[in-house]
Amino acid sequence: MQVKLFAALATLTIVLGAQAVATAQRAADGARALEGGWVRLDTTGSGSFGGLTSTFARAVLTPEGAARVKPQRDPDDVDPDNRPHKAGEPYIVTQGRCGVGGPGVIEPNSAAFFVIPTRDELLITREGPGARHIYMDGREHPPLSRIVPSGAGHSTARWDGADLVVDTTGLAEGGVTAGGWRTPETHVTERYHVADDGKRMRITFTWTDPKIYAQPHSYSFDFERLPADGYAFENWCDSGDPLQRQSVVPPEQLP
Amino acid sequence: MKAFLFAVTLMAALPRTTTAQAPNARDLSGYWELTYMDSQHVPRAQLAPRVTRAALDAQAQKDFKAVRWCNILGMPAIMASPRPLDIRQTDRTIVIAAEINAATRYIYLNRATHISNDIFDPTTNGDSIARWENDTLVVDTIGFDPNKGLTAIPGGGFRTANSHLVERFRLLNNGSLLSVRFTWTDPGVFRTPHSYEFRYARLPRDYEARLPLNCDPFDENRTAFLTTRP
Repeated sequence: MQVKLFAALATLTIVLGAQAVATAQRAADGARALEGGWVRLDTTGSGSFGGLTSTFARAVLTPEGAARVKPQRDPDDVDPDNRPHKAGEPYIVTQGRCGVGGPGVIEPNSAAFFVIPTRDELLITREGPGARHIYMDGREHPPLSRIVPSGAGHSTARWDGADLVVDTTGLAEGGVTAGGWRTPETHVTERYHVADDGKRMRITFTWTDPKIYAQPHSYSFDFERLPADGYAFENWCDSGDPLQRQSVVPPEQLP
Repeated sequence: MKAFLFAVTLMAALPRTTTAQAPNARDLSGYWELTYMDSQHVPRAQLAPRVTRAALDAQAQKDFKAVRWCNILGMPAIMASPRPLDIRQTDRTIVIAAEINAATRYIYLNRATHISNDIFDPTTNGDSIARWENDTLVVDTIGFDPNKGLTAIPGGGFRTANSHLVERFRLLNNGSLLSVRFTWTDPGVFRTPHSYEFRYARLPRDYEARLPLNCDPFDENRTAFLTTRP
């Protein structure tokens, strides 16, 4: 009897141990694959940001969600003056506001971003100030009452095989790609999947919020790995430079 | 019974992700904070003769403009952040993210030479490469932009296009302190290499980064505060 019990427990121990080792190995492989610089791809050849997302399935909103949606405008935009501008005549289109604090947004734009995976935290950085701090140590999100809503929210993550799965909440209220909306209560899940050749990556975003979405709202962006010898640039923006605000000079129109 | 105890012991030995690990002298990952005033040992710099009062005043004016207009601050200001620094390290890169208006620092462990001047556009943080010398990380930085960000160097002087910075990062007190010894060389600014040391305290693992400090260049109240004598 004792021998059988020992054999069963020993077998269980070995199986569980092997599983734990395999899981840790897949996560380590995933971290190695994900580390580095990435830049978003225009896989459909649309040639513009709007075009890139125009083929995404539109969000299916609840009536409450639809009622919340407001037109979005960059708060830095300046109302255009109602007069024509001569060719070469600069005019102000933005306040040129730099340095207003914020960790950025969760959807990468056309600039490169960098993934730095470590045991306790995965850092996503850009070519300027701010970073996304994604906690990998198994902690839970704090209560919403303790989160200051922001463009990055509060993120935790786990490895699902070699995929990184990030869960974020506590986002500032505002628009979401392809007709969605978000509030601090909304959750977005990002699944980072690196292709077998390590050169491409897909991030699939899935937004859920029973008050806003009638069904999960999902879409994906594809990315290309920067060369191994690539390096981060540094964005420069100077609100004190008048040219910063005169960012558009109408070109001479051809007859 | 013995068999059962043996098996339980075996199971307890299974790999766990939450197991506490001894500090690794070559892993700087964590949140680090300058503490009370005793965390900065900064002697006065020996400035080169050509660094006149007028030159210092002119540089101070540039620095004031950078602060006034919320420019990204860069080195060395980022390392003197009043908020914790998030330092994350892999075998290829060390990244330093601050909660102030400074571009993230990238320190490359995977190359031994700087990016060629032919293609590198000077930045507020410069181009940093690093190597380990025993348990000391030696970071070498050049490629600074002399006209962008906050250029003042603790102890006196300022960074220029010719500045060369060597930083020596070393864990102390069983990993609870991080010592960084900074040495600036720049014959146009310093008579002798200028060294100083900061010591950062490691924050608990459950520390969570706060939102970066806000800086609004169009806040009139702030502008008046900065530009009017008290």
